[in-house]
Amino acid sequence: MPLVEIRNLTKRFRKGDEVITPVLDLDLDIEEGELIALMGKSGTGKSTLLNLIAGIDQPDSGSIAVAGTMITSLSRGKLADWRAAHLGYIFQTHNLVPVLTAYENIELPLLLLPMSSSDRRRRVNFALEVVGLTDRAQHYPRQLSGGQEQRVGVARAIVTHPTLVVADEPTGNLDEETSGQIQTLLQELNRQLGITLVMVTHDVDVASIASRQLRLEHGRAVAPISTARQTVPVLETSN
Amino acid sequence: MFRFAPYVWKTLWRHRTRSLLTVSGASVAIFVMCFIGSIQEGLNRMVQGEDAQRRLIVFQENRFCPTSSRLPEDYARQILKVAGVTDVLPIQVWTNNCRASLDVVVVHGVPAAKLKENRKLRLIEGQWSTFTKRTDAAVVGRQFARRRQVRLGDQLTFGSMSVHVAGIFESDSSAEEDLIYCHLLFVQLAESQAAAGLVTQLEVCLNESADPDSVAKQIDQALRTGLVPTTTRRKGAFQTATISDLVDLIGYAYWLGLACVGLVLSLVATTTVMSVQDRVQELAVLQTLGVRPGRVMRMILAESTLLCFWGGVLGVGLAWSILSWGNFSVGAEGVAITLRPSTAMILSGLGISLVLGSLAGFIPAYQATRTNLVSALRQS
Repeated sequence: MPLVEIRNLTKRFRKGDEVITPVLDLDLDIEEGELIALMGKSGTGKSTLLNLIAGIDQPDSGSIAVAGTMITSLSRGKLADWRAAHLGYIFQTHNLVPVLTAYENIELPLLLLPMSSSDRRRRVNFALEVVGLTDRAQHYPRQLSGGQEQRVGVARAIVTHPTLVVADEPTGNLDEETSGQIQTLLQELNRQLGITLVMVTHDVDVASIASRQLRLEHGRAVAPISTARQTVPVLETSN
Repeated sequence: MFRFAPYVWKTLWRHRTRSLLTVSGASVAIFVMCFIGSIQEGLNRMVQGEDAQRRLIVFQENRFCPTSSRLPEDYARQILKVAGVTDVLPIQVWTNNCRASLDVVVVHGVPAAKLKENRKLRLIEGQWSTFTKRTDAAVVGRQFARRRQVRLGDQLTFGSMSVHVAGIFESDSSAEEDLIYCHLLFVQLAESQAAAGLVTQLEVCLNESADPDSVAKQIDQALRTGLVPTTTRRKGAFQTATISDLVDLIGYAYWLGLACVGLVLSLVATTTVMSVQDRVQELAVLQTLGVRPGRVMRMILAESTLLCFWGGVLGVGLAWSILSWGNFSVGAEGVAITLRPSTAMILSGLGISLVLGSLAGFIPAYQATRTNLVSALRQS
């Protein structure tokens, strides 16, 4: 049984008199442990689909089930609870809370789960170790580089051990070298921790780490471009 | 429940200048509100006590200023004959200012022997025997003594009157603590030789079964044939009528107090709206991470309530300090309202600040929870 089952998904927007349909009757299955890259031109519905899967947007019709939970029929409150327990979200612009340290930013989603402070501490320290930022735990976002901020964003997304991680252009704001480091990190998370990851990207290089690439056109997913896993170097933890 | 308290605190500290300005603005408004409230409380204390309802004041008809009321002291004997009257206290009032003032001096000349019987005064300094023996002796209320820094043994001069402070007293009635009591004849003669035998007013004590309003009518009826017609009212009603202009002013001040409440509401609401608008994207990120809309609402309400509460604590503290230190009284026509800090003032000041804080944050908090997450995340 697929981890994510999307059936007949449609999403429309009204822009003035024009109706835009970025997602139209879309069917998609995502297996557990997959790393999927959603690609396509601007306005083809990549981010819309990602937000629908993440449960922060509602479709006009169709359904999305994640690990057996029909998220398209959950209330706002229940959907928030579901996101807290099952979803990790990596933003393009990091979106760290500026008044909180790296440690506190990573701890934030754990505060929503029933968990002791010692368990939280253990999980945050592990996440910091995974992204190689143990020595930056007490730094504020303004004291971190763009790459380090994105690493904190990745750590925040995985710290709850989510069922699914979604990433919206995770390297879109980074230079080439830092982008490479984040690609490596994402691939390692997928391989070593078995995290199912769906990411939106324009970048063919970034998409190349995916186990499956999907191109969206006219609101529908066309045939996968590639299913081959790429070989990646060992995870670098340097800054 | 308090897991997000550090975030709330750090958010307020993030714009500390704005937060401090809001707190200081709220504190000034709460201070003004408490100060006005203390005047209202003082007025209520004065006109709602047992004495105010069970004692009568006989005053010259159609006169309001103590300097213009002149009743024969001998009226006391006639009043004592009215059924229900147990005692009559003749009082000669002297005041330095008939107009409204924040530092009014009111001297009551009363027969020394009747003072202790008719007033529940406790000397905290000095001796009653000294007061009784010296004709120019005075016992001074604690509030007045503090305000004017009067000490035992001081010689006080008011107009043509110079008195020796033989004691300082405290009383359960705050209005009493703002008075100076002297010998009746001494105050009469200080006015003029011709004033001997005349008093400003007569205070009538009743037995428990007497109806104050009925007795008041009987007194005015009995004295109708006398030299000077009288108007007799309950003490509270007399005081309210005497300072009616001041009561009207206090009524207007009440609206000023309400304006302060509106000011706090508007100030804290503006700050909270600005804070929420600055963080549209951040609040959307929190909700994307799984923070429930209800929790976002509670966090924003906590921010506005904390700002307002800190303002309330500062404002109430300031009002308490100034009212305690200043020993103010506002009076007119020889009747003084004392301004005192009270537990009710503290509780109402803090309670109002808490309620205002919650109200001020409600609309921005509600708006934050209704934000479209996708649109908010796209904001930069």
